Amino acid sequence: MKRNRLMYDYEAYVLILPNVILYAAFILIPAIGTIGLSFTDFNIFQSNFVGLRNYTRLLDDARFLRSLGNTLYYTVGTIVPSLVLGLLIAVVLNNPVRGRAGFRMVIFLPHVLSVVAVSLAWMYLYNPSAGVFNQLLRQMGLPRFDWLRDPDMAMPSIIAMQIWNGLGYYMVVYLAGLQTIPDYLYEVADMDGASRPRKFFSITLPMLAATTFFLIVTGVIFSFQVFGQVYIMTRGGPLNRTTTIVHQIYYRGFEGYQMGYASAMAVFLLLLTVTVTLVNIRVGRGRGADDAA
Amino acid sequence: MLHSLKPRAVSRSLKQSIAREVRFVVLAAVTFLMAFPLLIIIFTAVKSDPEMVLQQFRLLPREWRFDNFSAAFQYGDWGRYYFNSLYITVVTVVGSLLLNSLAGFSFARLRFPGREAIFFLFLVGMMVPYQSIVIPQFVVLRSIPLAGGNDLLGQGGRGWLNTYWALIVPFLSGSFGIFLCRQFFFSIPKSLDEAARIDGARPFYIYWRIFLPLAKPVLATLAILKTAHTWNNFFYPLVMISSRDMYTVQLALQQFQGQFTVQWNLLMAATLVSILPMVAVFLLAQKHFVAGIVTSGIKG
Repeated sequence: MKRNRLMYDYEAYVLILPNVILYAAFILIPAIGTIGLSFTDFNIFQSNFVGLRNYTRLLDDARFLRSLGNTLYYTVGTIVPSLVLGLLIAVVLNNPVRGRAGFRMVIFLPHVLSVVAVSLAWMYLYNPSAGVFNQLLRQMGLPRFDWLRDPDMAMPSIIAMQIWNGLGYYMVVYLAGLQTIPDYLYEVADMDGASRPRKFFSITLPMLAATTFFLIVTGVIFSFQVFGQVYIMTRGGPLNRTTTIVHQIYYRGFEGYQMGYASAMAVFLLLLTVTVTLVNIRVGRGRGADDAA
Repeated sequence: MLHSLKPRAVSRSLKQSIAREVRFVVLAAVTFLMAFPLLIIIFTAVKSDPEMVLQQFRLLPREWRFDNFSAAFQYGDWGRYYFNSLYITVVTVVGSLLLNSLAGFSFARLRFPGREAIFFLFLVGMMVPYQSIVIPQFVVLRSIPLAGGNDLLGQGGRGWLNTYWALIVPFLSGSFGIFLCRQFFFSIPKSLDEAARIDGARPFYIYWRIFLPLAKPVLATLAILKTAHTWNNFFYPLVMISSRDMYTVQLALQQFQGQFTVQWNLLMAATLVSILPMVAVFLLAQKHFVAGIVTSGIKG
């Protein structure tokens, strides 16, 4: 009895108590609360149980369905070019070159800026008359665009901005991945007379599979949360061509006060994110076993 | 690229130095493209009004107008917005570091029934994007008892909405921070706290005097992540703040844009000043910044 009491630190409950309260009040209970609210017509003032009506409404909501397509477009459109460009820059930077630290610093710098600052700067770049892009195009005698107000150009324009904004992240993670590839693999390949492209495709790329997977998972999770760029630059327009899942949650929940309905969208986002994370954990485990063998 | 069947030492070193130069040129070009929007912000911020209406592109201003900054800050109470952002950031960072490290220490170094189960519950939170739970969080903040005109049951008033608390308290606890601290504390030799225990030290004393000072590297990484996240956050203030005097810098900047879209030079001046704190933190602590970004993964 006495021995047992000595072994346990019951004070620990006091030490973790502030965290437990805050975590319960602001993460755990809200996570359950989102699910609960999604079965109601909650609008801040009143709340009635409506069963699955919010969910059946989602299936008929053209705007929400559009936002799913847009979010997917944004996700793929940002991640694929970022992976390719990030890897290429990292591979070049991983060699001895003058000014290496400076290059790395400037390329990473956009990543530390806020979504508001980045969006405002690019709204200026994209401005049809005063904007830099159109001025440059005009001086070169090329056709100009109404970047953010053309339904077919708006999302690609946001994606281009996002690739610029996040490229440093992909580069830095790939640089960390490149450090883990043992030199002897390249030395052996050199002895066999392997060409540069051959070494890249047979050693570098496969050895970076785990890094690439990590970048895809984090990229997907971040992309599902995209909101600020869209809210600031286009308000989801033109013709709802840039509205995203979180933009719809905000639009329904905090502009229309249909919080029950918005909660159903939030549950969808939650399930999507949890699924991606669980797949990540499962694949990570599988790979861990392979490495051990 | 040069090709030679059997490279000798001389041609090889020539080849290497050419490759070096090629890499330098490629990287310089990429870096210029990446820096271009930043240069536009900087130089537009000091361009004069007449120059802004010229249709010709020119990177450098003809006339450097440093009074653009004071002109931009005449629209709105920017001193107040900067104070708000700074206050929220400092309190969130200091508070969350203390709380996260305390919980991380408890989960790594103390034995108590239910430890693994409670920790697992905290881990679950890493999968939850806060955008997906912002509606119930809004309700919780509105229902804080006896705050903002609320009664004991949290009804009747606005609770913590539109206050500093709404932007601080939800971010004080955090799965990722607790997880990172716990991992770090696992790596510290057992002999350290055992010796202190033999001397009769209580757990909190061991945390405060031994483990917290040792945790500086992990706390630095966390501090930078948390600073960037709090300073740059836009979604949360947009939802929780309604009155002008509570605006953060990000919110004020976005509102500024809505009103003065035509005055791009002033807007870029305000934007430039808003990014300086983060750029300064990044330049001063680049190593921790990058380490934090690389390890954070799931939640930034």
